[in-house]
Amino acid sequence: MRPVAIVGLDCRFPGAPDAGAYWEMLMRSGEGVGRVPAQRWDARDFHSPAGAEGHSNTTEGGFISDPDVFDNEFFTISPREAAAMDPQQRLLLQCAWRAVEDSGIAPQRLAGTSAGVFVGIMGNEWAQLHLTDYARVTAQVGSGNGYCMTANRVSYHLDLKGPSLAVDTACSSSLVAVHLACNALLSGECDTAIAAGVNVALTPALSIFYTQAGLSAPDGRCKPFSADADGIGRGEGVGAVVLRRLEDAVADGQPVYAVIRGTAVNQDGRSNGITAPNRWSQQDVLAAAYRRAGVEPSDMTFTEAHGTGTVLGDMIEVKALGQLHSGRSGRPMAFGSVKGSIGHTEGAAGIAGLIKVALSLHHRTVPASRYAASENPALKLSKNGLRLLKAPLRLRSGQSALGGLSSFGMGGTNAHAVLESAPPYAARPGAQPPPEQAHSGRTGLGSGVFTVSAPSLDALRRNLLAQADAVARRRAPAGPLCWSSNRVKTGHRYRFAVPVDGSGELAAALREAAGDDDSLARLTGHPAGKPLAALLFTGQGSQYPAMTAQLYRQSPLYRRFLDEADAALAPHTGGSVRDLLLSGESSVHRTGWAQPALFAVGYALSACLSELGVRPALLLGHSVGEYAAAVLAEVFPLEQAARLVAARGALMERLPERGGMLAVRADAAELAELVAAEPLVGVGAVNGPRATVLSGDLAALERIGEALERRGVRSRRLDVSHAFHSPLMEPVLERFAEVAGEVGGGVPKLPVYSTVRGRLLEAEPMDAEYWTEHICAPVLFGEAAARLLDAGPTHLVEVGPRPVLTKMARGLRSSAGAGGTSLALVPGETSGGRELAESVAELYRSGLDPRWHAVYPEEDRLPQRLAPYAFSDAHRFWTRAPVRSGSAVRSGSAVRAGSAAGVQVLPAQPYSGELEPGRPAAGAGETLTAVLPSAREAAPADPVARAVIAAVAEVGGYAPDESSPLSLLYEDLGFDSVMVMELKDRIQERLTGLEAMSVQDLLPRLSSVGDLIGYLQDRVGSAVA
Amino acid sequence: MQEPQSAPVAYLAAVGTALPGDPVDNGKLAKTLGVNDEWIDVFIGTRTRHFARDLDSGEVRWSLADLCAQAAERALTASRVAADEIEFVVMGTATPDHLMPATVNLVADLLGLDQLPTYQLQSGCAGAVQALDMGRTLIMGGGYRAGLVIGGDVCSKHLDLDRDLSDAPPSDLVNYVLFGDGAGAAVLTSEPRGQRLAVRRVLNRFTGLGREPGQVIDWFGLADRHEDRQAVREDYKAIEEFVPLIAEEILWELLEDLDWPSDRVDFLLPPQLSGHMTRRIAEKLRLPGAVEVSCVAETGNNGNALPFLQMEGLMDRMTEGQRALAVAVESSKWIKSGFALEKV
Repeated sequence: MRPVAIVGLDCRFPGAPDAGAYWEMLMRSGEGVGRVPAQRWDARDFHSPAGAEGHSNTTEGGFISDPDVFDNEFFTISPREAAAMDPQQRLLLQCAWRAVEDSGIAPQRLAGTSAGVFVGIMGNEWAQLHLTDYARVTAQVGSGNGYCMTANRVSYHLDLKGPSLAVDTACSSSLVAVHLACNALLSGECDTAIAAGVNVALTPALSIFYTQAGLSAPDGRCKPFSADADGIGRGEGVGAVVLRRLEDAVADGQPVYAVIRGTAVNQDGRSNGITAPNRWSQQDVLAAAYRRAGVEPSDMTFTEAHGTGTVLGDMIEVKALGQLHSGRSGRPMAFGSVKGSIGHTEGAAGIAGLIKVALSLHHRTVPASRYAASENPALKLSKNGLRLLKAPLRLRSGQSALGGLSSFGMGGTNAHAVLESAPPYAARPGAQPPPEQAHSGRTGLGSGVFTVSAPSLDALRRNLLAQADAVARRRAPAGPLCWSSNRVKTGHRYRFAVPVDGSGELAAALREAAGDDDSLARLTGHPAGKPLAALLFTGQGSQYPAMTAQLYRQSPLYRRFLDEADAALAPHTGGSVRDLLLSGESSVHRTGWAQPALFAVGYALSACLSELGVRPALLLGHSVGEYAAAVLAEVFPLEQAARLVAARGALMERLPERGGMLAVRADAAELAELVAAEPLVGVGAVNGPRATVLSGDLAALERIGEALERRGVRSRRLDVSHAFHSPLMEPVLERFAEVAGEVGGGVPKLPVYSTVRGRLLEAEPMDAEYWTEHICAPVLFGEAAARLLDAGPTHLVEVGPRPVLTKMARGLRSSAGAGGTSLALVPGETSGGRELAESVAELYRSGLDPRWHAVYPEEDRLPQRLAPYAFSDAHRFWTRAPVRSGSAVRSGSAVRAGSAAGVQVLPAQPYSGELEPGRPAAGAGETLTAVLPSAREAAPADPVARAVIAAVAEVGGYAPDESSPLSLLYEDLGFDSVMVMELKDRIQERLTGLEAMSVQDLLPRLSSVGDLIGYLQDRVGSAVA
Repeated sequence: MQEPQSAPVAYLAAVGTALPGDPVDNGKLAKTLGVNDEWIDVFIGTRTRHFARDLDSGEVRWSLADLCAQAAERALTASRVAADEIEFVVMGTATPDHLMPATVNLVADLLGLDQLPTYQLQSGCAGAVQALDMGRTLIMGGGYRAGLVIGGDVCSKHLDLDRDLSDAPPSDLVNYVLFGDGAGAAVLTSEPRGQRLAVRRVLNRFTGLGREPGQVIDWFGLADRHEDRQAVREDYKAIEEFVPLIAEEILWELLEDLDWPSDRVDFLLPPQLSGHMTRRIAEKLRLPGAVEVSCVAETGNNGNALPFLQMEGLMDRMTEGQRALAVAVESSKWIKSGFALEKV
């Protein structure tokens, strides 16, 4: 069999609300078994220690907490429908979602694919409670029940189009589901499969069945392979794994927990009774799985056994394993069973075992098996080549390990799987870029962007906190965390993004946003569509020493493109623009350097944007800024543009420095007369209404300036070496035109708003003629920008070393009637990778789906498992518990008595509309308190009882009516050992007829107040007698 | 897995211990602290302990360095290894006399040792085992021929005799009645000498990933000494629940690693938490035929001295070929530790 990778998982088992807690519980040999919660059924109603007919011999079992909680809003399921849904469907939906996230992709990315869903399930108790109440069978109740719907719900809500089916082979259901999922993957039916199992106990039926069949442990606990083993304890749970063919998982850079090497399924056939386990079939299924995996029994390091803890079942399983392992060389095979910790989770037992084995291989430690220390000697384990896991088994690092997993169904369907540790990380290539980006060279901004998304602001806050907690708890490098968040946490409407450099900073930022609405608003977008970005390329005057040097040092992506520009310019500039920028020399202000340097910066920044997936919708370049815009619009290749811009700068620098520029707060038309009077002065630029720049001879500008001052018009000399865009430029035209002629230039392939024409270029080439005209023509920024704003960009992005044009455009916006957010890729002189990352974050918040690849260097593009989605626990949906018909109605249980089971919605906030008419609107707690014994009973008449209750109240500081005979001293009343000492004294003071007793006498009698009363009554009675 | 024959083996030549002053019984402690002595009997099960601070005068009469040096001297004497043969000193403690200098160096000074490597491991109940692990490693891999391994603790700093404990909750009371002071030391050699106990295996493993500490002992400096913080905190519920389970795992891991059948262990040295807890744990560690060696009911829980006090109880009882297993759990950040001895 080709290997199948387990790439994601999630689960909930008794005592373990998630996969992390499950592992921690296993590692400390903990357990999740306890009393039957009152919410399910009243265990006392069905309890008979002797296992009388129709009764169970236990009041304990492994129950998950809050099975009624469901985030129906996340899945956009109405409360009415949610209330009618089998909780197994609801639990599975949430679990499947989280498992897919854990596999390193956003579940939305699976939508529409052929992903398959295979669910193992054997309990159908919700249907037994609801579909038999014929008057209440609604459409929702119909679709809310049935095995098939557990799988089909997941396919429906995740929009998965591959096979979708439920499997019932009793207790082996979910391992058989895994088997079918592997086969579907290997046959090419689907490329991703979710295999799952679920089991929720809503009625005592199976406990009664196990008792009547002589299989039920009185303490409700499976004690696998222990000398104390005395039967099954029921358990609940839900678990899901995401499976891929190993080669696909590796190619997609998904993290792998473990690899399934082989699976097999068979049947007992006509064996010793339909429910009797069959040693020979178990042996066969083990051998078949080993064969399919291509391994020898002696290769197996450990096995997760079925191990229900029935004496006979344990014996048969050991014999079957022994048949294959007794002759093995080397150490006996280690084995154990998770059932000792969580009980027998029936339909979910296979997935519980699979997740345990996968985590064991992943963590390279196999947890100890609870109750192993009291090994049953009759099993003769060492003779069978086996040893029970009495302590955690550390798997050797640096070599692969094999673990097996058995799951046997009551009806005789057996399954076994062989798993292997994941291929070593170093042997696996990292995530490959999509084909169009292959060989794309260096990537990375120098800072990461952490993203979280959610369908509502409340959900976002909750998930920000969940991420903050997880990030704070376990340190991980920020880059891989961010990269993984981009892959997994980006599918929902509300988009949160924050640039970060370290995980400590990340945790703080997440926590702050979750708790502070301003911060949340700043970092969150709720876009209606995709952003339409206008790129504004800054022109001369914006340069400064060391511009973008910090970005160059921090961002490999920027480095790559600035180096490209530098290489293209170098043959023409006689030096390195890059070295100039990094040196921080002020010669960058010399025109011969300033123009190529700004071109290089503009080119590199815009190339970064393209690489980041920002589609430039509209382009505009101010003066020399237009060259980089033209390269982006494919007017000419980089090398040609570099040649031309270098020539332009060099020619202009050689002109005598007697020209200058004057910015005037006036319309160009108002200045026409003054300009006409000075032949050596022209309009250099029209940046907007009342924003004109005159350019030309310094003396002439001086005269104009004085004239303007007389008129009260403000003007300001610009710090430039030459009179650009003026008649003084004419001497360079001839030489420039020669070069331009050789360079040429085509029609831009993107919308370019020309500052020569003051409008969008329409199928007009930006050729030699254009670039020559460009030198003396005024820069019509105002008009070009106004037209650009008319096109309605959502963002104005400054592509230059500082924000200049976006500020100028802001003034135009109101007149053009258009908006758009301003964004500077390099907002200040010390800006670096972090500021660029913030720009990407802002564009993401506004609806861009960046090519996240480009944000990170290859070494950061590692999958890092993040906390899965935190679902809301605001809504609860439950039914009333089954009751024993015809049994005496006990005090406090009147609400349930004699009524058929009915659906009840229990939202945390009062919810109206689904309650039965005539029944009071119940809060979440009411059904629970209704079945609890009333604490407020009339004061007992018996003097012993009165004395005890008074003593208890006194020692515990309770009001007399706050405790009753039913109160448990430790659990309900919080007694500790010191209080017990005092209680003894107080009782002796009160009951003078009582002979002296010791604390040791008392200790075993201290479970409930009633027990204590009973004991003391006996003592007092015997004293009197 | 046995060490191959040719591999170097570390041997325990002798053990020495030191307990300060006379034992303090529950009656005396109850009177001094104003607590109920029946409560101590019933819930703690520790009968006596020793304190470096005199309960009547309040005066501190022994430093940790004093006790450790005394124990080391006794170990040296018993081992017949001369002080000038000692090539290293490793010491484990949770309650050093000072943060600097490390107490191990004060001990070396008191013993007249100089020009040798010293190490101090800061650890709770597992510190003695960690020191043994380190000492064994130095002998097996470092070419050393003899060294001292020391463990000890004193709780004088936190034994606040002025406090009124009549209203203290059990979680607070326990800290006063559980602990005691003491020190122990062992001489390790590369050849069988003295008691000729081969150290077959030492387990020392942190297992506290993601787990809240079960015990915290704080220390205070000039800036925070007036803060109202409890100096010693324990999560007794967690300790009660997990230490027995962890102890079982340690025992079985040692047995399996050594390939020792469980009925071939002659002495068991279980974790020494309190009289009652130790008894309960020892009952769970079902080793048919093993004699339990415990001391906590008489010595109190004196931390890193305990394994030495238990080993001392072994010394004159083990005969050639006999085996002993020791288990210790540090519940602060959940450290598993244990070791196996075999008399050759």
